Parts: sequence; C-alpha cells; structure tokens
Amino acid sequence: MKIIMDGNEVAATSGQTILEVARANGVRIPTLCHNDALEPAAMCRLCTVEVDEGRGPRLVTACNYPLRRDAQVFTNSERVRAGRKLIIEMLYTRCRGSELLEELGREYGADFTRFAPNDKQCIMCGLCARVCERVGGKTLTLSGRGVEITVATAFDRASEFCIACGACARICPVQTIKMIDEDGERRILVQGREASRVKLIECVSCGKRFGPVLDLKEINERAGDSKVPPPNQGVCPECSRRNLAARMAERHFEQFETGEEG
Amino acid sequence: MSQPSSAAQVADEVRRIISPADLEAYRRELLTKNDPNAPKVIVCCGTGCQASGSLDVIDAMKKAVAEAGWEGKVVPRVKRTGCHGFCSRGPLVVIEPMDLFYQQVSVDDVEEIVKTTLIGGEPIKRLLYKPPDSKEPVQRVAEIPFYSKQSRIVLKNIGKIDPFNIEDALTHGAYQALAKCLSSMGPRQVIDEVMNSKLRGRGGAGFPTGLKWDSCARVEGTRYVICNADEGDPGAFMDRSLLEGDPHSVLEGMAISAFAVGSNRGYIYCRAEYPLAVRTLTAAIKQAEAMGLLGDNIMGTDFSFKLTVSTGAGAFVCGESSALMSSLEGKVGRPRPKYIRSVEKGFRDSPSNLNNVETFANIPDIIFKGADWFKSYGTERSAGTKVFALTGNVHNVGLVEVPMGSSLREIVYGIGGGIPNKRELKAVQTGGPSGGCIPIPAKFLDINVGFGKLAEVGSMMGSGGMIVMDEDTCMVEVSRYFINFLVEESCGQCSPCREGLTRMLEILTRITQGEGREGDIQLLQEIGTFTNSFSLCGLGTSAANPVLSTIRWFPEEYEAHIREKKCPSGVCKKLFHYEIQAETCTGCGLCRRKCPVQAISGEKKKAHSIDQSLCIKCMECYKNCKFKAIKVL
Ligand SMILES: Cc1cc2nc3c(=O)[nH]c(=O)nc-3n(C[C@H](O)[C@H](O)[C@H](O)COP(=O)(O)O)c2cc1C
Ligand code: SF4
Ligand code: FES
Repeated sequence: MKIIMDGNEVAATSGQTILEVARANGVRIPTLCHNDALEPAAMCRLCTVEVDEGRGPRLVTACNYPLRRDAQVFTNSERVRAGRKLIIEMLYTRCRGSELLEELGREYGADFTRFAPNDKQCIMCGLCARVCERVGGKTLTLSGRGVEITVATAFDRASEFCIACGACARICPVQTIKMIDEDGERRILVQGREASRVKLIECVSCGKRFGPVLDLKEINERAGDSKVPPPNQGVCPECSRRNLAARMAERHFEQFETGEEG
Repeated sequence: MSQPSSAAQVADEVRRIISPADLEAYRRELLTKNDPNAPKVIVCCGTGCQASGSLDVIDAMKKAVAEAGWEGKVVPRVKRTGCHGFCSRGPLVVIEPMDLFYQQVSVDDVEEIVKTTLIGGEPIKRLLYKPPDSKEPVQRVAEIPFYSKQSRIVLKNIGKIDPFNIEDALTHGAYQALAKCLSSMGPRQVIDEVMNSKLRGRGGAGFPTGLKWDSCARVEGTRYVICNADEGDPGAFMDRSLLEGDPHSVLEGMAISAFAVGSNRGYIYCRAEYPLAVRTLTAAIKQAEAMGLLGDNIMGTDFSFKLTVSTGAGAFVCGESSALMSSLEGKVGRPRPKYIRSVEKGFRDSPSNLNNVETFANIPDIIFKGADWFKSYGTERSAGTKVFALTGNVHNVGLVEVPMGSSLREIVYGIGGGIPNKRELKAVQTGGPSGGCIPIPAKFLDINVGFGKLAEVGSMMGSGGMIVMDEDTCMVEVSRYFINFLVEESCGQCSPCREGLTRMLEILTRITQGEGREGDIQLLQEIGTFTNSFSLCGLGTSAANPVLSTIRWFPEEYEAHIREKKCPSGVCKKLFHYEIQAETCTGCGLCRRKCPVQAISGEKKKAHSIDQSLCIKCMECYKNCKFKAIKVL
C-alpha cells in the first residue's frame, strides 16, 4: 500500500485511519470531536481531507477513514480549507469567545462577523456524551434532533447514575461542563444546569471530603475489588499517605530502639 | 371500522403448500372456484378513500347486496382493495365485469347502485368521472386517461385484490416466482437475472439491485434482508399503497432476495404513521406462514425465511440506511459514522441487504417473466417503471406508474390532466425535500424522467414524490419551506448539516420577509455547496439541493425579493399587494362579497378598488376573479 500525503510518501499499515497516519508522520490535521480513547464519531467534520484512491478526489473525514489501498491524501487543499473555515465560523456562533476556535480561526482566515451569534456555549462535539458512555456513567447523552440537539440528562433531571468521575468536565474542549465540590457534595453542571449531585465521602481521619460515594452496583461490579487495604478504606489519599508514613516511622523507630538494646 | 373478512379464513382449515408444483395446482383449483369474470363490486379502501368514507360505503354495499332480490342472477361479490391511486376522486367503486368506474360515492348512492347498475345493468351518469377538458363523462376505467396512460406493472394488482385475502393474491399469481426459484433456479441464477434486469433501487439513490445482492451474498455471516418502508418524504405514498394494497408482492420479493443472498431472517421497517400498512403486512405474513409460503421449510423445501414487521418512530432520517439499522437495533436512529457498506456490516454488524418497498415489489415479475420482459419498459440506463405520487397544482392528484424515461409533459398533462384554474405551470419538484425544482416552461417539459436526466438538471429521482407548482408559487418560499422541514428532520449530529441548515433558513427567512441583503445569494450558494459536500450522511449531502436548484433556475426571483423587495408570485406577504385593474374589472362584485375584511369597495358594474390598509392578502379576491382583473404588484 502506497500512501502519498501532501506530495510525500508516508509509512502506513492497512486499516490505519488517515488521522493516525498523518500524526505518525508529523502532518497536522485539526480535530474537534476526536479523542484517542473513544470510537470516532466524525461529527465536527473539521478533519475532512481529500483522498484519491484512483477514482478522483473525494472528501472524507480523516478521523475515521481507514486506508486500505494506494491513495493520495490532500490534507490542506483549497476545498478542504474553505470547508474548515466555514465550520469554524459557524461553530464560533455557538460558542463565542472560545480560545480554541479563535486560534483555529486565525489559521484558516475565519471571519467571525459573517454570522449572527447563537450562543449555546457548546460546539456539539459529543465528546462528553461519548466519554460518559465509555466510563459507564449513563448520564449525559445527545438529546433531541435537528438544530435543537443538545447535551442532556434523561428527561433533563439530575441523573441517578452519575459516578461523578468528572471525565466530561475534563474532556470538554470549550470548558462548558463544570465540576464543583462544595458542602460535602460534587455537582456536575452542564451549561449551568445540574446534571448530577453526588455525596462525597468524609475522611474518617481528617474529616475532609475527598471522593464520590459510589453505591452503584453495576459500577462496583465492573470495578471489582479495589484492593485498598481495610485500614485505608474511608480515608482520604492524603491521610492514607500520612498515616502510612507515621506507621512506618513508628516501626522504624521501635526497631532502632530495639537495635540499641540488642 | 369494518374488520377484514379474512381473519376468519386463517382460523379455517389451512391448505399447506407442500411443494412448488403444489402451489400451481392450488392456484388452478382456486381459479375454478372463483370465476374471475363473475360480477364484483370493488370498493377502494386505501387510506385516502377511507378518509372520505369508503368503509361506510362498503358496509352499506354488503348489506344492500345481501338484502336485494337477485331472482336467479349471480350475486355479486363485494370486495375491498387497496388504493386505486385516484385519491382526489374517492371513495371509488368499480363494477366488474362491466369495468364501470364510479367516483365520489357516498352511502346514499349505494341503494341506487344496487338497483340500477347491478340489477338493472345501467350506469348511473352522475357518479361517472368527467375529465377536466370534456363535457361527456367516461364509463369504463380503461377509458380514463389517468389510468390508460399509465403502465401499471408494480401496481398491477392494486385495486384488484383484497389485501387481507391471500387466496385472492394467489389467484393473481402471488408466490409463483418464489416457486420458480425453489424448483428450478439456484441463488446465483436469481442474482444474475436481477443483475441482468438492470433494476435500480427505488428508494432514491438508484443503486443497482443485483449488484447489491451479489455483494451481500459474498460476505460471510448471518445475513439479513431488510425492507425500507420508512417513506418519510412529505406527500409521498407510493410505498404505503403497495404495502396496503398488495403486501404479498413485497413479501415475495423479500423471500426471493433472501433465497438469493442466503438469508433466513428478514425485517420490514415500517413507519408507525402507517397503521393500516402494519396491519395488512402482519395479516399477510401470518396467512403466508400458515400456508407454508413463508416461515420454516417454505413449500416443503429446506429454504426457511422468517419475517418480522418493526415500526419506526417517525423520523425522516431513519430512512437513511445506517440510521434505519440503528433504530432497528433499538438504538437512537442516527446515521453511523462508518466508511463501511451495510452489505458487509449492517444490522447487528452482519451483512445486510436493504431495499426499498417498490424495489422488492418489482422482483417477482422480473424472476417470473424474465429480465428481458422487464427491460422492455423504460430506457437503456433506467429500466422498468417508476411510481410517482403526483400532487400539487394538477387536476389528477394520485399515484401514477410510468415507464422510466417518460416525459414530464406526459405525466403532468397526459396523466395529471394539466393545471387547474387556467394557471401556467412553473416548476415540478421531484426527489422529496432534498430534490430540486425543475423549472418547466419551454425549457424542460420534455425532459425524460430517469435517474441520469434528473441529476443533470440538478434534481434527483428520490423515492417518487412529484409536486407540480403553478405560476402562483414563490420559489424562494418553496426553498425556505423545504429547508425548514430539514432543519427539524436533520439528526443534528454533524456540524455542516446542522449549522448549514440553520444559516440557510435564517437567510431565506429574511429574504422572504423583505430583509434580504446584497450578497445573500452568493452566501447561500457558498453554504449550500459546503453542506452538500462536508456532511456525514445522505440527508446532509443533498440538503441544499432545493436552495441550489432554485437559485440556479430562478435567480431573478431571488433578486426581485432582495433588490426590489418584491415577491413576483404574490406569496411573501410583506412583499406584494393586490390591485384591481380598472380596465379589466367588470364590477361584478364577486370579490367585494368574498373579501373577509371588507377591504373592497365599488359600485355595481364599475371598477372596484382595494383599501390597502385593510387588506390581509388572503388571496380570496385573486383566486375568485373570473376576469383576471386582480394583479400582484
Ligand atoms: C435522509 C434519507 C432518507 C431516506 N428515506 C428513505 C425512505 O423513506 N425509503 C427508502 O426506501 N429509502 C430511503 N432512503 C434511501 C436509503 O438510504 C437506501 O438507499 C434505500 O433504502 C436502499 O434501497 P434501494 O436500493 O432499494 O433503493 C433515504 C436516504 C436518506 C439519506
Ligand atoms: S448529515 Fe445531517 S442527518 Fe446526516 S448525520 Fe449529519 S446531521 Fe445527521
Ligand atoms: S475530528 Fe473527525 S469529524 Fe471531528
């Protein structure tokens, strides 16, 4: 299989996506909805490139297009750039002020004045919903259809299945999802709306709240035995560390004394 | 509602067909039992006629026939059928063997029909159909241009058989083609015959059916055969009529496909808004299984094929093949982002052959009569016929089946009977919401309707919706209407489709409200071209067609809206007003009486005038003026 990317022959194995091949060969293709840990969803279409497998150039998304035969790939052609510019301009109307989009806008010569703002603080990349599904949280999904599609919990109620892992807040490219630990609870906020509220465990040692209470059977089953030794259960990681250090010091000290005597 | 008579027939002792030859024997037996030339009263019970009261008509008819004195005459059979296609004239009643066609029949007419026609043998003049351009009514079905100018091969049984009665279907040849496959053909031969017929999918994309079957048969795994009965195009009802009128042709086509690709499991994905179709299908499957024509060991052979009807949740995008399969699996009906064909990995990641209802319905005759017979219809590149749902500003609204390559003139004027109210034809829209508007006048009236030709002028075949538009149609508003439909029906996951549609709707709305800006046409073209090439699925990649094609063929209408703030067709309310031409006005006063807000004044026999400050632009005066004295300005 011979792959020519932007004029240069590059190394590739059959079945690799264009994006994987590009990255391995130092070619940058912009993405918004891609994350290596998740199945590609090809929603943002920003990674669109032109590929010619002998039957003329076609537009495909790099993040999920598998290369299987000889191909020429054009990652930055005029058509590709024109499309990316429009995607960035249109997504910016949903999420004004996003540094990520402004940066991309500079790269593609976007004109952010062309379209009226339509602020939703969300670029609809779907990453939060997909990571939630992957983690097993069953909390965030893409809800509704058409232009009204949103990220939401079931029936827009605070979820009972959230494990408060915070993966959604971490993965969101425009920082719309917030995770707040306050008053003994962890809250996940999506566009200011409460997606879940989970109790935090109080450390039996220092009294600090340190992690979500997990009494979801399915998640506990999936996680299996946590291998945390009994003395450390219910103790925050900081206290665990301090207690262990104290115990070690104690043991060491006793040993030293015994040694003196012996 | 009257229940289909056949429920009882299933419960009766069922004749099981034990071999392909046995089917033919049974068919002959049925033919001698039910003389095809015996007198019959056929009442159309398609969805359209049901809506205008045909179920009451059939009940009354049964009662009247039972109570009448026949004095030695053969008592006619009263029979319900699926949609005859001429819905604008319903409820329809056909009397055989006279081939007499009665239209707009009501319960009150029933007694007279029994007395005068069935017993007396005389037609009732006032129930006959009068073509728009003639004064004399037509008696026989065969004389009505709407029917006589069609080539009904897919619809051949519709309006003839009782869809709830499998014996009726068998006398008309149902399952003969499947018997032929099972007795004398191998899967390879079946695929070759379909390939040779040049049949192309009727669901929109026109993919060669034989080629699809061939690819599916070559992939290892548990194969599925799936029928796309989602039919979401507004105004389209071709597939529904087939399912409601001749379900066995679709079931037989699917069974033949299963035999050919090597599958024994099938699904029909039918939209939930078609309750009658779901009932006919379910009953048909049950009856066919009971007779050994579907299910395990079909006709005593080792070929088995189990079929299930599954209802969709009514989203247009669920007609898209990968969304349909997701929905069938019980997941959200969104198109899948995978560069893999469903013949390789479709339903449950298994090889799946998906075809449209009409595609399957074409199969039995292709197998029974041969590919060459099929190719004798249509053109070199588009073989066979196509069923269209003809609607809009045309006399005869309904279902029409014509050979591929028929001209638009033939369909709109020949079969459709032309444009009502002395208006001019402006455009014909095909291809559903993502089709284009083919502008007619001089230019394209003689275009041949086929897959290639429609694409050349910027439209597409689609699944067969055909909307006729007269001179009072605003093309900018038409394009806004379709984009508005898609804005709600897009699944919303990918950004070019979702955002592109949002922006196009915004721009079109402002143009139709008189706030269009210089540069809007170019902007629409830029966004449209982008949406059509960067979207994920077929919905997005054709979504801008209505916009791009109306701009291509009617640029002057866009310009008038944007530059002069005028809607030349008199549709966009902020952009026109009516004026009565004093020279042509005869002062008849009709408009004055029709106007709901008393905006029109004038003395008898003198020119009238409209008070613009009162006028709400409801069109009443414009529509009713017999002298065309009211102008759009
Ligand atoms: C948005 C969208 C809607 C569709 N709706 C339908 C439909 O209602 N019925 C149908 O048969 N095909 C529909 N199709 C086409 C199907 O994806 C598919 O091509 C077809 O069912 C294949 O059958 P065929 O080869 O027999 O035409 C639709 C496609 C798209 C993109
Ligand atoms: S093109 Fe439209 S309908 Fe298709 S996947 Fe994208 S958003 Fe959904
Ligand atoms: S990164 Fe490929 S479509 Fe978003």
